[in-house]
Amino acid sequence: MRYLRALIARIAGMFTRSRADAELAEELASHLAMETEENVRRGMTSAEARRRALLVAGGLTQAAEAVRDRRGLPWLEHLAADLRYAWRTLGRSPVFTAVVMITLALGIGANTAIFSVVRGVLLKPLPNRDGDQLVYLRHSTDTPGGEDINFSVPEVGDFRAGAPAFSGIAEFCPFFATLQGERGATRIQTGLVTGNFFEVMGLSAVLGRLTTSANDGPGVPPVAVLPYDFWIRRFGADSAIVGKTLRVDGNVVTIIGVLQPAPSFPEHVDVWMNMVVSPHHLSAQMVQDRVHRMTEIVGRLKPGVTLDGARAQVLAVDQRMQRDNAAVYDPTQHYRVTVVPYKQAIGQRSSLTLWLLMAAAAFVLVIASANVGNLTLMRGVRREPELVARAALGAGAGRLRRLLLAENLLLAVVGAALGVVLAIFGVRLLTALVARTSPRADEIHIDWMVLGFTFGVAVLLALALSFVASLPREGSFGAWITAGGRRVSGGRGTQRLQRALVVVQVAVSVVLLAGAGLLTRTMIRLSDVATGLSTEQVLTVQAPLKSPTQFLADPNADTEVKQNYELIRGDILALPGVKAVGLGSAMPLTTPTLSLDFDLLVEGYTPPAGAPPAQAEIRTAGPEYFDAAGIPLIRGRGIAVTDAPGAGHVAVVNQTFVAAYFPHEDPIGRQVRLTGPLVKFSPYYADWRTIVGVVGDTRDGGLDAAPRAEIFFPFAQEPAFFGGLVVRTDSNVAALINPVTRILRRVAPDAAIEKIATVTQLRDESLAPRRLNAELISSFSLLALIIAAVGIAGVLAFSVSTRTNEIGIRMSLGADGVMVQRMVLGEGGRLLVLGLLLGIAGAYFTSGLIRGLLFGIPPRDPTTFLSVATMMGAIGLLACWIPALRASRIDPAVTMRSA
Amino acid sequence: MGDKMDVQPGTLALMILRTLEMLGPLHGYGVARRIEEVSRHRLTLNYGTLYPALLKLEQEGFVTHEWRASENNRRAKFYTLTAAGRRQVARAAREWQQTADLIAAFLVPRPEAT
Repeated sequence: MRYLRALIARIAGMFTRSRADAELAEELASHLAMETEENVRRGMTSAEARRRALLVAGGLTQAAEAVRDRRGLPWLEHLAADLRYAWRTLGRSPVFTAVVMITLALGIGANTAIFSVVRGVLLKPLPNRDGDQLVYLRHSTDTPGGEDINFSVPEVGDFRAGAPAFSGIAEFCPFFATLQGERGATRIQTGLVTGNFFEVMGLSAVLGRLTTSANDGPGVPPVAVLPYDFWIRRFGADSAIVGKTLRVDGNVVTIIGVLQPAPSFPEHVDVWMNMVVSPHHLSAQMVQDRVHRMTEIVGRLKPGVTLDGARAQVLAVDQRMQRDNAAVYDPTQHYRVTVVPYKQAIGQRSSLTLWLLMAAAAFVLVIASANVGNLTLMRGVRREPELVARAALGAGAGRLRRLLLAENLLLAVVGAALGVVLAIFGVRLLTALVARTSPRADEIHIDWMVLGFTFGVAVLLALALSFVASLPREGSFGAWITAGGRRVSGGRGTQRLQRALVVVQVAVSVVLLAGAGLLTRTMIRLSDVATGLSTEQVLTVQAPLKSPTQFLADPNADTEVKQNYELIRGDILALPGVKAVGLGSAMPLTTPTLSLDFDLLVEGYTPPAGAPPAQAEIRTAGPEYFDAAGIPLIRGRGIAVTDAPGAGHVAVVNQTFVAAYFPHEDPIGRQVRLTGPLVKFSPYYADWRTIVGVVGDTRDGGLDAAPRAEIFFPFAQEPAFFGGLVVRTDSNVAALINPVTRILRRVAPDAAIEKIATVTQLRDESLAPRRLNAELISSFSLLALIIAAVGIAGVLAFSVSTRTNEIGIRMSLGADGVMVQRMVLGEGGRLLVLGLLLGIAGAYFTSGLIRGLLFGIPPRDPTTFLSVATMMGAIGLLACWIPALRASRIDPAVTMRSA
Repeated sequence: MGDKMDVQPGTLALMILRTLEMLGPLHGYGVARRIEEVSRHRLTLNYGTLYPALLKLEQEGFVTHEWRASENNRRAKFYTLTAAGRRQVARAAREWQQTADLIAAFLVPRPEAT
């Protein structure tokens, strides 16, 4: 209490200084007068009396100083004074101050923005309780598209029984459904889960309750748990939502709770429901068939169990499972199960890009700091006389250091504050980028931790900058005076440091530029890739008219759906300008909603020993599908109107299919049929069909993926689980979006329009993440280039200005402008070449790290490296030229006189 | 005049407070004179010691001040003990007494226990 009171009094004391000073002077004077009077009374002369009184007093100034120190908070006042002084000093060199602050703001801003993203998406602990104990089990095979296949219920059972490392294993089946609401039907992604799912995931309800084992099995009422974001987005955070119902695929599902915000992986989920919603998921087929894989699984490790322990158990179960069911696990396909920490699994798709951006930002900060360091060094040399004079007047090394620190703190903190403002905008941009690859984009915030990081960096930088500058040594005042009050020197050490910093800047810029160059060339390569179809005036619509559960429930669904598709097709054809409309199961340039992993028997093709059976992506197509999409017919015919339900079964294949299975023969007239363990429960026609045509390849798996073998069956001959339309028009394709939507809504009001986009949009969408990536890295490297160029020019200009006298003497002895220019250029050129060499070497050894982001060019692409080196060299030389030119214009007469 | 002593840390505040308690409102000169006399001139307080100590006591709320005329009609700053100051004198005096007893117990030579 008494200390607090004293503290408050002292803080107040800082603001009443002048009045208190006057009062103190009066108090001390009256003390002195009383003492003097007393001395006089004792018989001294008045002069002697005053002398003795002063002697006892012990120095009025020192006393006043002691009281003043006691009155306020001296350290705070000194800091404030230092900062005020620093502000004035910096204000006197506005260009220096602005350059430093902007450079730091850019460097710190980029780092703050990207660090917040990295932290939110990759580093921050999951919101799940004990999120470190969560693991994702990934089932993979060697076949195309087999990186992450699901598990079947018997397989899940094996792991539950055989891996005691887990305290729980939860099942989650991603499942498309249609949500019927007042505003029409929407397609939603649902997750069907076992009752223990939320407990295993370590998530709790913000409203209501979550599922338990009581929600498992048949005969229980269907229930739903809403993810937090869907509850906000769709229901406006209705606090009375619990107990209300949803209509999903015709089922009435009761909402029992709202889940806390949490990322969902591997699929985004709009509604969580129990398995009973889909009768198929409780059917004998689902429960007993080992190849019927529709389930994702997450496990929670028991406390104290290590990841390696769990891995060993999972491996043992996997091996036993494959041994006991040899018929199901074809050894050529290399079935395997890996255990991945959940957080890592979630971050996997974003991690390479984000770390690359983080590295680029860190590089920019390194270059920026080097530049600021250089500027500070130069300024330090220019200020040497001032510092020497201060030292001579009694400022100790500590005091001078504190002065420099105050200046640098001011620079760094203001720079950081500007940087945070930049970062706020940057984070918005980056969040949009990251949302494509990570479900944790919602968790990105510039929070206290990030701000702490930013200001920590700023303070460290300020400290470093204050200690690179050399202080005048003891007694250097004399030397300075003898030198005639001129600049003492930059000092050999200082100059060497400056040069080293320039070399580092150039080298780091080259590494960054090389990365940017590689990514940009990747972009160019990708946009040159032909999609395989006409990109002009084609609209695609993905709109399944009924969801899978409705199909399974209603035997007449397929007929009804096909009739409706024909109605829609007819209406769209009647729209003005429309030239062709084709139906199909999946639109070109997109991956099918569900990949059907059938094996194929191809007449005349025997897989080589050890190779998997023939496989192809299965799609359906109606007449005009290829015409409308502009996919060229290479041989034979396309799908015709006559390929109707009763007619003979036919197929059209793409060029990749032909290259894989009929490399040297004519495929027309050959037979293929579906085979493999999945055929027995598929409604697809399972007997032989005849290949009637070959069409061109399309880049359906993305522009950066090689085309896959594809086989098209007639739309009319197979069930229409999935469906959409390709529309070709003769003008303004975007204007078709509204009328097409209206037709769909009229004919099938309950159908969900999954996606409606022109082919150009689809193409741009598949390029967008890489484009943004290339643009970000390019702007970072451009920034680095500019900063580095300023750095080179600055250091050379400084070097020239310290050598003005020398150059003047050289010129008066006969050197001409060209020789002086060559001398300065040579000095800069040496640094430039050294930096270039180091940078190219650095790029050579690090570019392999971004192999995964490249397409069509090797990481050590000589063309890129050469052009990057040329660019850096040219800009660097230009930066050298300016000070060189200035040096050559030095007037010897003027310099000699001023010396 | 005895040997000169330095002011022991922490003792000056109590001496000032006690002086004000004994003599009532007093200016800095008066306080200094009194402490010198009581210490039989073994302590002399220069201004740099006395005035910061007075200011500290004031900041802590143990004394207040007012300006008024001194005995010989000079304007001077008179310090007065507050109620909190009075309590502080009692507390500090008790603590010092205890400390002094303790130290005395250690310093007085005692016959060995029989």
